[in-house]
Amino acid sequence: MAQVETFYYDNAIVRKFAYATMLWAVVGMLVGLIAAFQLIWPELNLGIPYTSFGRIRPLHTNAAIFAFVGNGIYMGVYYSLQRLLKTRMFSNALSNIHFWGWQSIIVMAAVTLPLGITSAKEYAELEWPIDIAIALVWVVFGINMFGTILKRRENHMYVAIWFYIATWITVTVLHIGNNIEIPVSATKSYNIFAGVQDALVQWWYGHNAVAFFLTTPYLGLMYYFLPKAANRPVYSYRLSIIHFWALIFIYIWAGPHHLLYTSLPDWAQSLGTVFSVMLIAPSWGGMLNGLLTLRGAWDRVRQDPVLKFMVVAITAYGMATFEGPMLSIKSVNAISHFTDWTIGHVHIGTLGWNGFLTFGILYWLIPRLFNTQLYSGKLANAHFWIGTLGIAFYAIPLYWAGWAQSLMWKEFTPDGFLKYGNFLETVTQIMPMYYIRALGGTLYFAGTLVMVYNLIATIRQGSFIGDEVAEAPARVATDGAHKGEHWHRWIERRPMQMLVGAAIAILIGGIIEISPMVMIESNIPKIASVKPYTPLELHGRDLYIREGCLGCHSQMVRPFRSETERYGEYSKSGEYIYDRPFLWGSKRTGPDLHREGGKYPDSWHYNHMVDPQSMSPGSIMPAYPWLLRDEMDLGTLPKKIKVLTMLGTPYPEGFEDQAVADLKKQASEVAKRLRADGVEDDKLEKRDIVALIAYLQRLGTDIKPKAATN
Amino acid sequence: MKKNKLKKQLVITLLALLSSSLVFAQGAGAAGAATPASNETFNSLLANGLIFFAGLTMLGAVLALFHLLSMMIKVQQIKIYQEQGIEAYLEDVEKTQKEPWWKRQYKAWTNVVPVEKEDSVMLDHNYDGIRELDNSLPPWWVAMFYITIFLGVVFLGYYHVLGGPSQADEYNAEMKVAEQAKAAFAATQANTIDEANLEASTDPKDLSIGQTIFSTNCVACHSAKGEGGVGPNLTDEFWIHGGGITNVFKTVKNGVPEKGMIAWSAQLKPADILKVSSYILTLQGTNPPNGKAPQGTKYVAEGEEAPADTSAVN
Repeated sequence: MAQVETFYYDNAIVRKFAYATMLWAVVGMLVGLIAAFQLIWPELNLGIPYTSFGRIRPLHTNAAIFAFVGNGIYMGVYYSLQRLLKTRMFSNALSNIHFWGWQSIIVMAAVTLPLGITSAKEYAELEWPIDIAIALVWVVFGINMFGTILKRRENHMYVAIWFYIATWITVTVLHIGNNIEIPVSATKSYNIFAGVQDALVQWWYGHNAVAFFLTTPYLGLMYYFLPKAANRPVYSYRLSIIHFWALIFIYIWAGPHHLLYTSLPDWAQSLGTVFSVMLIAPSWGGMLNGLLTLRGAWDRVRQDPVLKFMVVAITAYGMATFEGPMLSIKSVNAISHFTDWTIGHVHIGTLGWNGFLTFGILYWLIPRLFNTQLYSGKLANAHFWIGTLGIAFYAIPLYWAGWAQSLMWKEFTPDGFLKYGNFLETVTQIMPMYYIRALGGTLYFAGTLVMVYNLIATIRQGSFIGDEVAEAPARVATDGAHKGEHWHRWIERRPMQMLVGAAIAILIGGIIEISPMVMIESNIPKIASVKPYTPLELHGRDLYIREGCLGCHSQMVRPFRSETERYGEYSKSGEYIYDRPFLWGSKRTGPDLHREGGKYPDSWHYNHMVDPQSMSPGSIMPAYPWLLRDEMDLGTLPKKIKVLTMLGTPYPEGFEDQAVADLKKQASEVAKRLRADGVEDDKLEKRDIVALIAYLQRLGTDIKPKAATN
Repeated sequence: MKKNKLKKQLVITLLALLSSSLVFAQGAGAAGAATPASNETFNSLLANGLIFFAGLTMLGAVLALFHLLSMMIKVQQIKIYQEQGIEAYLEDVEKTQKEPWWKRQYKAWTNVVPVEKEDSVMLDHNYDGIRELDNSLPPWWVAMFYITIFLGVVFLGYYHVLGGPSQADEYNAEMKVAEQAKAAFAATQANTIDEANLEASTDPKDLSIGQTIFSTNCVACHSAKGEGGVGPNLTDEFWIHGGGITNVFKTVKNGVPEKGMIAWSAQLKPADILKVSSYILTLQGTNPPNGKAPQGTKYVAEGEEAPADTSAVN
């Protein structure tokens, strides 16, 4: 037997991440709550650009995912990794660089997103300098984690650590793959992929941000904190092995289910569907191993708030991972996509699974870090009930709203007309559901505040020990197999092989789906009449991105009668080849805009931006007065044209030097039309609004026969 | 001995089926070249027949395998009883007699070692005090996994190997069905409304519906009282595209796309266009505040439409 060594766990870094988790939980949820109330009272943005819905929606999603859950992951990993490996973290310095680096990224996000600095790709909105910072900090985290694994005193790695390793390698691959972009300036870049290709890469990333940021690391945390809190053995080691490898291998294929019935080729959509359906069992493997670990401890679940939170979290995980595959079936997706059903679904996952598991861990961890008891079990129980009610009041109305609105979109009268031809009718119909949703969000948020109060009181009554003493024998490196051991024990002793194995498992799906889309031209049939955007339209498009219009408006008419009757010809993949980034959107709070061009006069759009309710009574779209006020900033326009030309957009040679003149010419034409309709503004041709109108009027007209004769 | 015989029989049956289907396929090829018209029915018949036979074969094979398996299990069980003695046998007999069917099913599909006996499956793993059990994979879970994989193969096979409908095919089919339904419905309607037989309505009910349609669809451009905004004033006698019920109906129906007036025929049915047009004509001479300056030419009703016009103006 090796000699017993004494060492110290680093609890100080765990405490830092725990504080950050609590702080960003409050911030992220508050922003979400504001967004929910803005959907009821659009004027809540106070008429200023930085708080308008399109800009704070990505702020909410990024804060919830990367700030709240991100810090939750690090808190749990830094605590469990040291104990599972019987060693201190590899480097105090790296731990602190990781902590402060991640917090500064969050602050940068909180500044840039309200400023409208965004690359428009969901959950990857941050611009390229921040992308680089994220990559660097992530590598620091990786080195720190692998350094710790390498100097471990435990021979084998526990299942939680497999999940941590898979998380690390996959997020690395996804983050890099989805953010390959060419900078125009410090705050603007264009993707190397365009249109359909960009859509596929984005949702390969986007879906797996859910899989490998919100799921796999949290499964790792579950595998540590649940058996610890319940003091029960893990149900099945064999189940851990099978569901781990099956989960990471299959998850990566599922991205295209975000693009069903779009212009993505059928074969890619089908892969997304079948791999999503195959995901049920691997996902439920995690749920089963969690719930069955509680066998023999159910009596304590009734009393212990920690276990209560964890049970609801795991149940929510099971529900969301069953619902996800169902939503990936094309005929179900035809109803659910673009509606609030999706919003309800993801919030079961985030509020239930991520939120409640984090709360359970915090209630378990904070008293241990501070060597004390939880300040109030009663308050924790109150939090549990408020939070659970909050989830119900949040999700159920949104399911209702999603079904109701989708059915209204699709309803025809017997003589062949859309029953609700005016999109707005389908919005006003579901407004009551939005009120209840906001109530649900308020409840959940209130519960979180109760928790923060309870934990602060706990911290106050305890005494913190930054370096916790521990003892363990040194590792005797026995790489040889024991007789009769399970075959999987081999790789549990070899972190590098585990890393490579996980990398291979997650690369296969991505390569098989993405490479044909990039390399085989027949996947995106060319359309001769599709031309690049003019400089004015391009500027307008970048404003559309800045304002986050895609948060509420899709640009994807699906091949359904109910959509072609409402919007026009369904969208073709060849129409998007100059779209960097693609702007298909994923939610229709307002109508689709892909065939918006030529539908209304320029002045309609002008007046609509001044006051949407004047043109569409009852609309919940906010006003955009600053677009009428601000003059176009054309400083980077030549550079933009240059970058796009480099990426393959066929502008004439030397066009970057004529771009500004071309823009002014087109702007004066738009201004002339606006003036003819009574718009009074001396500097009209210089305003941002002119560019946005030019872009909106261009949308979808490339293959519109009527536009050609105009 | 019996086993071998069964196996042989199975192989022979399979081979026979295979060769016969090959012969069928060749025959189909030859027939297809000769008569393309009858080819389709024959092919579908052939396909159905083949699927039927394949299904029968598979069913037979599954039954045979099941039979084999249960025999092997029985033999094995007898060996075990021989080693463990008569008590073990009696215990098992008792168990099968006592436990109801569903309970045995439940046990078989969950296959879990009870908490009291979990020491028997406790592994020697210990991670910071966390132990692991070696329970087997829940059989129902494994079955579910296999079923989803099987469904995946069927899905991909149907849509991408056997030529199931593409997304575009589905759309075309949907449109075709809608066209037929529309035509069938139109046939049941006595008098269709079009430009040839228009008469402005004066029925207060119609006009009130017209007003509702106006306020949801038209006010954005023509303002609440029809005084005009982005679009022209509808309350004066000047019309750009002609006044009177027929012209107004036509303008609403077909729109003036180059000026931003959309064609409402896609969203409003003819009866509703007539109602809203009738309502618009009631606005004549109301002279609301902030009226837009007159545009177009002064409209004078022609003889034929005059009565309708006067009644609409009131």
